[in-house]
Amino acid sequence: MHIPDSFIPLNQAVIYWVIALPFIIMSMRWARKELDEMKVPILAALAAGIFAIQAMNIPIGMGTSGHMVGAALVAIVFGSPWAGVLVITLVLLVQGFAFGDGGITTMGANILNMGVISGFVGYYTYVTLRKSTGTSIAAFGGAWLGIFIASIVCAVQMWLAGTFPLIPGLIAMGTYHLIIGFVGEGLITAVVITAIAKSRPDLLEDSFTVRPEKSKKEVHA
Amino acid sequence: MNGNSNMKFLYAGIAIALLLSILAPFLASPDPDGLESAAGGLIEGSKLSHLEETQPAVNAPMPDYSIGGMGKSGEVLAIAVGTLAVLAISFGFGKVFNKKA
Repeated sequence: MHIPDSFIPLNQAVIYWVIALPFIIMSMRWARKELDEMKVPILAALAAGIFAIQAMNIPIGMGTSGHMVGAALVAIVFGSPWAGVLVITLVLLVQGFAFGDGGITTMGANILNMGVISGFVGYYTYVTLRKSTGTSIAAFGGAWLGIFIASIVCAVQMWLAGTFPLIPGLIAMGTYHLIIGFVGEGLITAVVITAIAKSRPDLLEDSFTVRPEKSKKEVHA
Repeated sequence: MNGNSNMKFLYAGIAIALLLSILAPFLASPDPDGLESAAGGLIEGSKLSHLEETQPAVNAPMPDYSIGGMGKSGEVLAIAVGTLAVLAISFGFGKVFNKKA
């Protein structure tokens, strides 16, 4: 879903940067407030893993492929969507400047779609589902919905940019990302979150930040 | 929960990330991603080739996760370099912000 420079006119790309900037600043404020000696290694390990797994495009049929984004995964581990925004911003910076994956002018839009929208939708869907469905299914559902909504927003941006027609753009982006979201995002997020819940339940969400009692119960439920 | 076991998490994370870096060039699908596929289907040929020929705002040193003339080993190296760069940047960022707190 990395938008290259040529897909959005410069004036619109600047607007997405302006919208993304407060989110980037808030993610840095989250880091200043929440990061400590114990969380920094986890953040770095997740960021590196997400960069590597984003390089692995999964075939989804129709001559199309897709890869994981990972904002929801990070947000769930840290119990905050701001963590997802932060990690995706760092990953996109390296992808854009070193590898030409996603444009520099369009990086604001990419941070907005993949970091903010997929992170926030993914995390709050997870939080909403968790009590009724348990950790694994909530992680799957959140990650899946997060990348789907991000692709819908991306299709609208492409329409505003004059790059895609609206309805065919929505259908194409929506269809592809429903499938990418299933394997590339949903399944991988659910597997990783379930593995962490089993091996290091203390890392997951609430207990990692506040309210340790509550999370313990949910992990074992 | 203590610092030591989180360092273990870090080492496990680095190991998994580097393993993915090595595997990615061999396992990754060469098919275009969702956005590129949509572009291929929705934009008419001449406009699409114009868009694709437009130079990026900044020329990346390792475009498309490859190093010129090095083939698959260059791709492995490029992704591994990227993985370690992300690791170093996020670790450094975390340390700096942590100290300021």
